[in-house]
Amino acid sequence: MGGVGELELIQRSLEGDLEAWGEIVVRYKRMVFGAALAVLRNWADAEDAAQEAFIRAYEKLHYYDLSRKFSTWLLTVTINVAKNMLRKRRRPDPEPQTFHTDDPATVVEREELRKAVRQAVWSLPEDYRLPLVLYYWEGLSVEEIARAMRLKPATVKTRLFRGRALVKSKLLEMGVTVDAV
Amino acid sequence: MRFEDWRDEEFIRQAIAEEIAAAEFRLEGLEKRVIKALATRDRPRSPWRRWLRSLVAPRSPALRLAYVIGAALIALGIGVLIGRFAFAPEPLPALAQEGTVFALAAPGAKEVEVVGDFSAWKPIPLADPDGDGVWTLILKLPPGRYEYAFLVDGRWVGQDPNADEYVRTMGDYTSVRYVGEDST
Repeated sequence: MGGVGELELIQRSLEGDLEAWGEIVVRYKRMVFGAALAVLRNWADAEDAAQEAFIRAYEKLHYYDLSRKFSTWLLTVTINVAKNMLRKRRRPDPEPQTFHTDDPATVVEREELRKAVRQAVWSLPEDYRLPLVLYYWEGLSVEEIARAMRLKPATVKTRLFRGRALVKSKLLEMGVTVDAV
Repeated sequence: MRFEDWRDEEFIRQAIAEEIAAAEFRLEGLEKRVIKALATRDRPRSPWRRWLRSLVAPRSPALRLAYVIGAALIALGIGVLIGRFAFAPEPLPALAQEGTVFALAAPGAKEVEVVGDFSAWKPIPLADPDGDGVWTLILKLPPGRYEYAFLVDGRWVGQDPNADEYVRTMGDYTSVRYVGEDST
């Protein structure tokens, strides 16, 4: 079913063809999982959210406007599912593994910086983490993120800029001094 | 520790991709699990669930209208409470009579704000006390290079006519201002 177009798969899914929907899952599972992980920060919860998002999207497929971009609609469903899950989750939001350097004076190795940035990005508040993931990993435009998150484009831009600034300040808190180029 | 070759976009992209790639093994066979769940999901509802559903989505038009009116009143009450408690104005950064002037002509605008690296991209409101449509803000900024943009009624205005230059980032412009020792 690899060569079948997206629109045909959606139409077949609307007619109840679960195999066609399975192909949609194959095509979009990385995207959906990335967005769920951006909200939940927990691998197991993100997996559950991804599964639930595909189930919910299938059940709501008749609401999907075929003139809209399918991936953006699917992301909206995913974000809603993940946020609902976050609200229901009783345990506290897991903190990413902490990173410390032994010698603040030395020039950090790229590997150590990589770990520090990873921790800084994933410890951002969700309001900033999610737009960064949608922009830098999903490759969505500011307008697409705005549609998926139901925000104004200017708000998305502000959050992207602020997210980047927060990463930098978190690195400073960890003792990493960075000079922009 | 110090890292002098900082390219934030590249490093952030890499940090996100690494975390997702590390967790991707969880996606193995997801399509089969989704299909299985969907195939077994459409079961007849229990009487309890039917009763609950009749409460949530009543069939009677009069009851539906009562629900809508009730929901509107609750939303109004919540809105008033949120407006009173949640949106207390945040303290502004220190303003000075002498400093860097941010000014934008935006006649008819209800709200003009500036966001920039000097405020970690947190909006700071401009004011138009005489109502002439020119919104201004004076900020005391240390010497340096600053990127910023205006938000006019929530719309991004990245090209300030008073900027020293513009840069294109994330598909749109931001303005750049160089502040010297005299803070202008």
